[in-house]
Amino acid sequence: MRRHDMSVKQIAGVIMMLVFLAFTFLPIIWAIILSFRPKTHLFEPIWQSPAQLTWDNFDTLARSDFPFALFNSLVTAGTSTILAMIIGVPAGFALAKGRSHRKFIASWALLLLRMAPPVGFVIPLFLIYLNVGLLDTWAGLIAAYMVLTLPMVVWSSWTSLSQIPDELIEASLLDGATLFQTLYKVVLPAARPGIVATAVLAFLIAWNDFFFALIITRGDTVTAPVAIMNFVSYATVDWGSIALASIVLTLPTVPVIIFANRYIVQSMGGAVKG
Amino acid sequence: MQSYQGVQPVFQKNYNKMLYPAVFAVGVFAIVPLLGMFALSLTDFHLIKSWDREFGLANFIRLTQDRRFISSISVMLMLSVFGVIFQVVLGTLIAVGLEKIVPRWRFLRGIFVVPFVVPAVAVALIWLSLFTPTLSPINAFFDIFGITVPAFLTTEYGAIGAIVIADTWASYPFVMLLILAALQGISSDLDEAASIDGATKMQIFWRITLPLLKPALLMVALFRFIETLKHFPLIFVMTNGGPGRSTQATNYYAYIQTFQSSNVSYGAAIAVFLFVFAAVISFYVAKANARLTDA
Amino acid sequence: MKLNNTHHAAIGALLACTTAVPSAALADDLNVILFSMPYTQGLDQLEADFEEKTGHTVNIDVVGQDVFESRITLSFTGQTGDLDVVHTPVIQVQRWIEAGWLQPITAAVDAMDTKDDILSGPLDAYLVNGERWALPFFAETGMMAYRTDLLADAGYDQAPENWAEMLEASAALKANDQAALAMRVAPGQGFNMFVYPMIMRAYGGTFFADYPTDLTPNMNTAEGLEALDVYASLMNDFGPEGIGNFNFGEVAAAMQSGQVAMIVDGTSIVAQALDPDASQFADQISIAAVPTGPNGRSPAIAVHGLGVPADAPNAEASFAFIEWATSEDVLTKIALMEAYPDFTRASVAQNAEVIAKYESIHPEFLNLKVQMLGDAIGHYRPLLPQWPQMGATIGENINAAVNGIMTYEEALETSDQDIADIMAE
Repeated sequence: MRRHDMSVKQIAGVIMMLVFLAFTFLPIIWAIILSFRPKTHLFEPIWQSPAQLTWDNFDTLARSDFPFALFNSLVTAGTSTILAMIIGVPAGFALAKGRSHRKFIASWALLLLRMAPPVGFVIPLFLIYLNVGLLDTWAGLIAAYMVLTLPMVVWSSWTSLSQIPDELIEASLLDGATLFQTLYKVVLPAARPGIVATAVLAFLIAWNDFFFALIITRGDTVTAPVAIMNFVSYATVDWGSIALASIVLTLPTVPVIIFANRYIVQSMGGAVKG
Repeated sequence: MQSYQGVQPVFQKNYNKMLYPAVFAVGVFAIVPLLGMFALSLTDFHLIKSWDREFGLANFIRLTQDRRFISSISVMLMLSVFGVIFQVVLGTLIAVGLEKIVPRWRFLRGIFVVPFVVPAVAVALIWLSLFTPTLSPINAFFDIFGITVPAFLTTEYGAIGAIVIADTWASYPFVMLLILAALQGISSDLDEAASIDGATKMQIFWRITLPLLKPALLMVALFRFIETLKHFPLIFVMTNGGPGRSTQATNYYAYIQTFQSSNVSYGAAIAVFLFVFAAVISFYVAKANARLTDA
Repeated sequence: MKLNNTHHAAIGALLACTTAVPSAALADDLNVILFSMPYTQGLDQLEADFEEKTGHTVNIDVVGQDVFESRITLSFTGQTGDLDVVHTPVIQVQRWIEAGWLQPITAAVDAMDTKDDILSGPLDAYLVNGERWALPFFAETGMMAYRTDLLADAGYDQAPENWAEMLEASAALKANDQAALAMRVAPGQGFNMFVYPMIMRAYGGTFFADYPTDLTPNMNTAEGLEALDVYASLMNDFGPEGIGNFNFGEVAAAMQSGQVAMIVDGTSIVAQALDPDASQFADQISIAAVPTGPNGRSPAIAVHGLGVPADAPNAEASFAFIEWATSEDVLTKIALMEAYPDFTRASVAQNAEVIAKYESIHPEFLNLKVQMLGDAIGHYRPLLPQWPQMGATIGENINAAVNGIMTYEEALETSDQDIADIMAE
């Protein structure tokens, strides 16, 4: 019955959304197809030989350094996110609720750190690491990722904690809680969406990093985005393994983003409402 | 408000204490390398020839005469400006679509957001295969109808377009999320009032929704602009800076100078330029942000 | 403008704290960094053999080529001492020697009792300033692969012998609605600049007026222009869609999936096209010599070897690894395991199993390869410390010309200017 109500404009809207859905999904479907295709039929259109499928790429991937690199990625991105949260959230809280004349400078500095060219950071970082023995160590990579995650965490928790009503903090302080207790017992639970969103965004930044890992890791701590490039060998580009590795690298974060996207929306909501 | 003034100052000290660890960490992890970058840019630290301890502005003088550097800036700006336009338009359309046009499809939000988490290297590799005509299913599909899809990566603007498309694919979800957030903040009372007054949905969108979205749009555009200036994996994987030098953006050019030509300090000088450029842009972003949040 | 002394001291101190003492060597006994290709992938799997044989533990790190370059550049510069053996392409060796990044291995090589078994061309490619700097494991040359069926349809019962014929055959294939030829066009010292000189030199074009005595840039000549015209027409008029961004991966894939009728590339890429496990049309693919031009034939050549970084702490152990990795036994094993026809020992070429394997791929493959190596000149790409940088820049210009961003004259003129600038630096 309701179908009759659909106007031309609505149909146009639906078609537009379907086109966008295709744009979003076709590359992913293509990657999935590639990862199941045998080498001899890799680039033949799937409709010409739909039965030509193989598990070979799973073997190749399992035997390569990739699983190990995935583990390195998880450890370094995870740890740097946790550290950045521990250090950054109180700072975000202080900027959101404390009174400081330097808030503008702080926001400028945070944005600048987000923007600063990685090429500029990485060479001095390399030379320093060389001298203190941090090259190709988890600690070194985690520290480098702090450059990426910390400004993100401070900025994002600053915006989301600004939305917590002052009265809530007042009440807690008047009850005799210290500021730290107030932060952990009152403010953070109230700001859960923002905190989840902050952690997710920070983790994604470190998880996706290519450049830092390219320069300051070696065989022992190579991360997954760099390890993917190892399937580009002289002689062949192993597209099947590349596609599969890309999917495997993306999979852990898909549930996270599907679960967390409403938190991101909620926490951003405050930021843009003002 | 009164209690605010009464209690808060006592805690101001403690607020400051909460800042110290972060300030310290930024100092160690970010400021020290940045000082190193400035120092390097003033030397002649050529990877091959041993570095003599002459400090000067030679690298910066060379920058002003380097045609490749100057053209890299226009490449960078093209990638950023077109990238931001496409991402903002697409992200906004999808957000508005999910929220206003087909609200029954709201559950698709979790789906539309997936490209956001595909790592840049994977984005680049997937789109490289899609843009290589002999490998691409897009070309194979249109071949059936006798249509030849042109090769993007072999023309100057095509290659820039290809990077913009790949970047748009990976980044529109960020825009979409922020615009969704902003849309939910816009009261539906206004829409209803307007529709009672006889306004069509289109008019409501153009006259009411869009103006209310303006601050959010500005914010997200600036944020994306910041990110697009740092393009690396997309160029590195998809074009190697080609065809010719048409996709050598400044950040990539700094990489080439440093690693391919072993001119570490010249690379650092380019990085310093980028840093100063970033400082100017982020100054305005911070100002815009202050205005938005104070409003 | 110069800074004053206080500034000097301050900046100097800052740099000193970032460039002081190298760190201790990493945990493994021997760290080997190689970039990914069939030989290195095979070697990686034989790691345990070496450990068993010598008692040294070894960590072989096989990485993508781009990753490799970023890694070693900084390791060398920083003198990290964390690498014991490094993948050493001939094309880089002069630059590395000039920079003091390698240590000579002359005495150790001369003491080897199987030294004479190593092919002398590749071995002597590492003889610079009277010292030996690496042992070769890979000597690749140029070759053509073509589809017999498609060429027959176009009226050719054999592959084109020269580049002019190549143009005619390509036109005939094009008339059959068939993309004719794929070669690398993507910009890069090891990409388009690996294949383009095959045409350039066949037409009498050169990089320098008279290498190595007169290093005046000499690309912008009538011969150079004609060669570039041939290359660009072959690619643009008769190549597959999108050829302007093709690298070796796309070239190999285009032949394997039947998109083009011919490729001219390195022997290891041609071997991929002949590999029935990867190539759909392997049984219809044959091989031929690199086409000639008015100035004869100039097959590409690329030699890769293993060298010892200047700061490697235990040079003897490093060399023990190199000797093992380039031994007859190991090369034979890898030649049988992988698509690796580019081995560098005469004894491997005489091994019955190896011969049988490559004959089954194509009966003439090994013979043709030897013939092409014989025709190749050592300085196919100039052997200069500045070449890597120069090649990258010229590669960008040539790529721009093929893709219509520069005119041919502009590209050559700019290249000459770039060469002069880099030589003057």
